[in-house]
Parts: sequence; structure tokens; C-alpha cells
Amino acid sequence: MARVGSMSRSKAIGDLLAQVAVWTIVLFAIFPIAWAFLISLKPEEDIVTATLQYIPRRITFENYVAIWTRSNFPTLIGNSIVTTLTTVAICTVVGTLASYAVTRYRFAGRRGLMMLFLVVRMFPAVMIIIPLFILMRGLGLLDSRLGLALAYTTFLLPVFIWMMKGFFEAVPNDLEDAARIDGASRLGAMVRVVLPLVVGGLVATAVFIAIGAWNEFLFALMLTTSTGSRTWPVGLQLMVGEFQLPWGSLAAGGIISIVPVMILFALVQRAMVRGLTAGAVKS
Amino acid sequence: MAVVDHAGRVRPTPRRSWLGAIADLSETRYWAYWLLVPALVLILAVVLYPTVWGIGLSFREMRLNRLDLGTGFVGLKHYRALVEDPIFWLSLQNTVIWTVTACVGELLLGLAVALLLNREQRGFRVAAVLILLPWFLPNVVAGHMWALMLDPRLGVVNDLLVKVGILSTYKAWFADPNWAMAAALLVEIWHGFPFFALLLLAGLKAIPQDLYEAAAIDGAGPLTRFRYVTLPQLKTIIVASVVLRVISLVNSPDILLILTGGGPGRSTMVLSLYAFLKVNKEFNFGYGSALAVVLFVLLMVFSYLYVRLANVMKD
Repeated sequence: MARVGSMSRSKAIGDLLAQVAVWTIVLFAIFPIAWAFLISLKPEEDIVTATLQYIPRRITFENYVAIWTRSNFPTLIGNSIVTTLTTVAICTVVGTLASYAVTRYRFAGRRGLMMLFLVVRMFPAVMIIIPLFILMRGLGLLDSRLGLALAYTTFLLPVFIWMMKGFFEAVPNDLEDAARIDGASRLGAMVRVVLPLVVGGLVATAVFIAIGAWNEFLFALMLTTSTGSRTWPVGLQLMVGEFQLPWGSLAAGGIISIVPVMILFALVQRAMVRGLTAGAVKS
Repeated sequence: MAVVDHAGRVRPTPRRSWLGAIADLSETRYWAYWLLVPALVLILAVVLYPTVWGIGLSFREMRLNRLDLGTGFVGLKHYRALVEDPIFWLSLQNTVIWTVTACVGELLLGLAVALLLNREQRGFRVAAVLILLPWFLPNVVAGHMWALMLDPRLGVVNDLLVKVGILSTYKAWFADPNWAMAAALLVEIWHGFPFFALLLLAGLKAIPQDLYEAAAIDGAGPLTRFRYVTLPQLKTIIVASVVLRVISLVNSPDILLILTGGGPGRSTMVLSLYAFLKVNKEFNFGYGSALAVVLFVLLMVFSYLYVRLANVMKD
């Protein structure tokens, strides 16, 4: 009896320590976000003070109004939305077809192709950016949102294909075979039977790609030169460098730009986590 | 072929829809290849062709601000210059420090988080989602959030450290060559550890429970179980996730570009950043390409040796 008691006692202590450790790490993970949010709510004179204010004494939305109305932030966000949607459209159409082919059919060169899609991720961004810059300048795609979206597919299309692979593999072959016996063409079986079953995974994968495109910085810095196509990460960075953006505005801009990420993430995180980890666990 | 209708008039066959044509195509034996055509064309156009071009560029002169130099073939000139470039060697050294420290730090923290979350206690589902958040944040915002916190005058980190008594005065973390790398690494580890936590947690959940039960019957304590059950079972995932992480740590200079720009001095200059600045600031495309090619070759060699080594150790 005493033994059971000490066991459950040591388990209770272990559980308590685990709780403390986990919530400490949670604090470490979200503190910078919370801190930036608090700063974004303070008037500038409460940010630049002799003694640091932890809880804002006065709350204001001035910083949000300032960044939205007194800078080209709305244009930057608009460019980012167009670029992101274009990237997602390209990856979804092209990537779904390719991923379907490599998971549901057996053909010569299949393994080699999967390797190609993996190795492509190993290419340094800098190595691709240099020639892309020159090629796109020649084609008139430099400083355009389409050009930037195409550049994003260099690293996002392979990710899309690999992530969708996990979802396609989860659909039993029997369903497709049954549709084929009922006289459906391969195209029909794909569109009417398999695709509807992976819609959840498709959405999660598309969201993951969208977040990647929305956040991207390096390609955008190199391949955009004007406000016509510049995305928000580049614009925000330039504002900090060139115009000495006040802290409150910088924090407000950062919060505005991560709100879509957090909403999308919250909506599909479960399916997204499944897609990201499926390949890792199986192999 | 034509159809004769009831009135005896000859009508052309109704044109089959393009959808029907694709459906027919799907019955041919090359259907899988047709599905792959768009992806292959795209990868060829935006990855492979530019890569080959870029490798060629590393043997040529190209400076966008010195067009008088032309774009002639210069052989190994850039590679020879690179061997004698002290910044190259410094960047290489910094790349190793940056990548190894960040990867080890992220792996250990990620493993700890995964082991904790795998206890599946109350509230851990929510905690798991919150812990994952930093990984999805843009580099630009992640960098500036930490820049605000580490600021020499108004940063909360300085304020807390002084209050606790660890620091006597505020410190300009990113202005001190001895501390800039460490401060940047803290930001990078914060940004990257959820990646390992995510994959390792999935790996832990996939370990069959009876392995632990069998070990417990054999009298294995928690540490022995971790050493002989958990680690071997996680090995494949650890190997794979370390390769993926090293690739992206070596390749993306984003965080350092935003936080330090390679400074102060060149204390945080890594190879990918050096190559990017050569191109973005100095417009020296030839030399930048040579740096990128060296980076790529080193990465390929590392990945190959690492995966080989991991396989050898498995046997």
C-alpha cells in the first residue's frame, strides 16, 4: 500500500514539474509576441521612458492608425496578398497533379523524381536568386508579383508535393479501383473519388504554402525594386532602415502582418501538423 | 466521321469536349507522365536552368555596376580570389558555429518539449499549439520582436537581467562582437525549436507502447528506457530532421541579415549572407555565384556523409 502511495506521489510530483516546465517553455515561445503587442498599444512617449512600463498605463490604437494611414503599408499588404494567392494557385494546381502521379501510379523514374523534389530543397536560395534575377530581368518579370510568385515555387512546390503525398497515400486504392470498375476514367476516378477525400489535407497544405509565401523575405528583397510589387516583409524592413520607423508603429505593423498567419494556423493546425509529420513518421 | 440526321442532312460529329479528351488521355499508359509535365517544366524553368546558369556565372565576370568589365569567361578567377579572401574563411567558420550551435540547441530543446508534451497531461494540447507558433512567424517580425526586447536602452531583457542582478548595466547585445552571435543564436533557436518539437512528438507517439511495457517488465528505469527504447526508435526522425534543419540554417541568412547584417565588424557574417550581400549590395554577380556554388557543394558533401554515417551506425 505504502509503495503504491509513494509511486503515485512521485508521479504527482513528476506531473507538476512537467506542467511547470511546459508552461515556462510556452512563456518563452509567446513572450516576444505578447511583448510586441503590448508595445503596439502604448503611445510613443510611454515606450521611450526612463523606467520600463510592463503593463501599458494608457492604451491607444494610434500606432495601428499611423502605420496603416501614414505609410504605404496597405499597398505592401495588397502586394503580399496577390503574390501569396498566385503562389498558392500555381502550387495547388501543378503540385496536386504531380503528387497524385507519384503516389498513386507506379512508373519508371518515380523514385528518382521523388529524390529530385527532395534535393531541389537543398539548393541555396542565394544560388537561385542570382540567375533568377538576371533571367527575370530579361523576361520583364523582375519587380512583378507574378515573377515573385514563380520564384517562390522554387522552394514551395517541392514542399507541397511532399506534404500532399502523405494525404494521397492515406486514401485506399480500393475506392479508386471500384470507381474504375464502374466505368470511370482515370481522370474521373481522380477528380470525383480521390480529390474529394483529400480536401482537408489540400486546404492544410495550401495554408502551409500560403504562410511560407506570406513570410518570405530574401527573394522579395532581391527581386522587387518598387512599391508596385514590394511585399510587406521587405517594406517593413526598409521602413525600419530608412525612415527610423517609431517602435510603436513597427510593433503595430508586425502584429497586423502576423494576424492572418495566426488565424490560418489556428484554423487548420491539426491537419497541417498531420501533413507535416506523416512522411517523417512513416519512413 | 459524320452523322446523318433524320432529315437526311449530313452534320459534323459534335465536337467532343476537351474534358473528354483529357479523360481519354488518362487511359493511355503515359498518363502519369502527363500529370508530371507541369511540375517538371516549372522546376526545370525556375530551379534547374537557373542553377546551371548560376554555376556558369561563377566562371564569368559580371558586375551590374561595372558593365565596362563585360561578362567574359574568367575561368577559376573567382575561386582563386575566394581562397585568398579572409572574409570567406571567417564566414565559413561562422557558418559552422552558427549551424552547429543552432541545430544542437534546437534539437535538445525540441526533444525536451516533445518528451514533456508526450506525457499528455491536462492543458498540453493547447500548450503544443502555442509552442508551435514561433516557427510560423515571419523572419522579419521575429527579428524585430527580439530586437525590441534586446534593445540597449529600452529592451525588456536588459531590464529584467539588471533587476535580477545578473547585469549591472544595460548591454548593447548586437553591438558587442563577443555577444552578437550569441544573441542572434538565441533568436534563431527560439524561431526553430518548434520544428524539432513537432517532428519528435509525432515520432514519440508512433513508438509502440508494448516496447516500454516489455522494458519495464525487464526492470528498466526511466533513463534506461529512454536510452534503449526511445532514442533508437526516434533515430530515423532525428537524422532526417537534422539534415533538413542544417540545410535551411546554412542556406538562409534572413535572421542575421535582419538582426546584424553580418556585424559588428564581421562577427556574425556567414557564407550565405556574404554571398547575398556581394550580390545585393555590391552587384558582384560572378563572385557571389562562386560563393553560392561553394556553399552548395559543401552542403551536398555534408548531407551525403551524414546520411552515410547514420546508415553505417544503424548496421
